[in-house]
Amino acid sequence: MPGVFTVFQREIGSYFTSLYAYLIAFAILIITGILFITDLDNAAGQRPPDPSVIPTFLSFAMIFFAPLLTMRLLAEEKREGTLELLLTSPASDTGIVVGKFLGSWAYFTLILAITFIYQIILIGIAQPDLVHAISAYLGIWLYGGACLAVGMVFSAITENQIVAAFLASAILFLLWIGDRVGQVVTNIDFARVLRELTLQGHFSTSFAYGLLHAEDVVYFAGIIVVMLFITIRLVESNRWR
Amino acid sequence: MIEVKHLTKRYGTRLAVDNISFKAGAGEIVGLLGPNGAGKTTTMRILTGFMPPNGGSATIAGFDVMRNSVKARGQVGYLPERVPVYPDMTVHGYVAFWAKLRGAPNPRAQADQVLERVQLSDRRNTLIRNLSKGMRQRLGLAQALVHNPPVVILDEPTIGIDPQQVIEVRDEVRKLGQDHTVLLSTHILSEAEQVCDRVIIINKGHIVAQGKPAELRRKLQPEMHLYVVLGGKRDGGEKLLRSISGVEAVEASGEGFNVRVKKGADIRTELIDKALRAGYNIQEMRPVMMTLENMFLDIIGREA
Ligand SMILES: Nc1ncnc2c1ncn2[C@@H]1O[C@H](COP(=O)(O)OP(=O)(O)OP(=O)(O)O)[C@@H](O)[C@H]1O
Ligand SMILES: [Mg+2]
Repeated sequence: MPGVFTVFQREIGSYFTSLYAYLIAFAILIITGILFITDLDNAAGQRPPDPSVIPTFLSFAMIFFAPLLTMRLLAEEKREGTLELLLTSPASDTGIVVGKFLGSWAYFTLILAITFIYQIILIGIAQPDLVHAISAYLGIWLYGGACLAVGMVFSAITENQIVAAFLASAILFLLWIGDRVGQVVTNIDFARVLRELTLQGHFSTSFAYGLLHAEDVVYFAGIIVVMLFITIRLVESNRWR
Repeated sequence: MIEVKHLTKRYGTRLAVDNISFKAGAGEIVGLLGPNGAGKTTTMRILTGFMPPNGGSATIAGFDVMRNSVKARGQVGYLPERVPVYPDMTVHGYVAFWAKLRGAPNPRAQADQVLERVQLSDRRNTLIRNLSKGMRQRLGLAQALVHNPPVVILDEPTIGIDPQQVIEVRDEVRKLGQDHTVLLSTHILSEAEQVCDRVIIINKGHIVAQGKPAELRRKLQPEMHLYVVLGGKRDGGEKLLRSISGVEAVEASGEGFNVRVKKGADIRTELIDKALRAGYNIQEMRPVMMTLENMFLDIIGREA
């Protein structure tokens, strides 16, 4: 994949020079901080603190945050015309797309790592279930990667960042709500299939309880691979217009 | 260095490039000259490996742009029509990024060198969003040159900048000819004439003429015109001129006459001879060059 590392580096750099990326990180850190303190307060003296409180919140919040982190990725390159330079460089289309995806995932990982500090603080004041915490974090890390990959597809579809973010949010919302629909459907088999397809179905009853199932890892990895594949084809299609 | 054979490109049913063939040797500066919509950008996009043609082939430094695309792309520096920038990057960061992506051995140092060359060193750490249009154009040039490619493709490099900067960019392009093969497009004839070793005139997707600017002028000039001012006698000049063999038309213009002469004929001796014998003297006689500008419009007009 020629070009992947250079594109990755530039992408990371562009998150650190953009105000709105800081704002997203700031929003996530504020909200998770409040959730952490609230949970600690509720738990005090009654139960151990819940290590998956932040991952569970993020499993909902990524519906909105992931598209905000990815809307720029390809839409801006198209609008500014830099995509033409990228596509005429010796970098491969795959290298460009994967580099960009890894850039956004790395930025998300960094935000996640900062919230993990809360768990470490807990070690000093309570006996947190660290295995549970690590499982929940691994889960949301993969879950977030899948959301970012979905977001990138929509960034490749349009030059308009707002449209890209809106469409990605809508699709992620459907993938998220699908799980709730599964709970009210009367046909058990249909409900099960529906649940297997949704993001929540592979998180809320496994990773969030500290359970690590290979099938859930495969599900998120599969979403990422499929979405990257679609994005590569979409980027390639610019050559045929 | 660049070899294009029977290149054809269609957008839907619209033929944008129609069976174009040409070559550019090492160190040659070749100009693609044509009006809006002639197919200049399309040709360049095929050569830079951005899009595949529908027919024909093209090679860059021996690498086929279709079959060996990545290798071919590595040989080219490309400045698109509208300079593409990342507004939030610094000037140096931007140039170094492209150098690195194109595999330059020493991206940061090479970026500094090329910025020196296009006189942007003092803006090294400025955000691109704060550059003027002329500076952006030079930044675009820097980006195309930073990895020192054998072939440089510039799509209308002087568009939208002030006359002083136009001159500077043209000088820079001329200098490029020393160690690069340059293909540049323009719709300004005098620019092609000043900068290029060879000009290819295209219109509506096909080549209408090509050659050295001087050759083109000779080849395309349909017949010689002479401008003659006779003195000594007042009337009858026109009649006298018409009586000379080889003269096709005479029309009065200012104090003298525009004389159109049949292709290949040289009437000057006969003209002097006859005029003197009839009691005229010749105050002025000079060939009238058809400017390339007129010729260009003429060719394009004939096409339409
Ligand atoms: N992406 C596209 N889709 C459809 N038609 C296109 C596309 N790009 C160019 N064309 C058409 O192809 C023809 C050649 O366009 P091209 O951009 O190559 O011309 P040009 O010589 O670069 O013109 P200009 O001087 O205006 O830049 C035009 O008729 C144009 O309308
Ligand atoms: Mg053009």
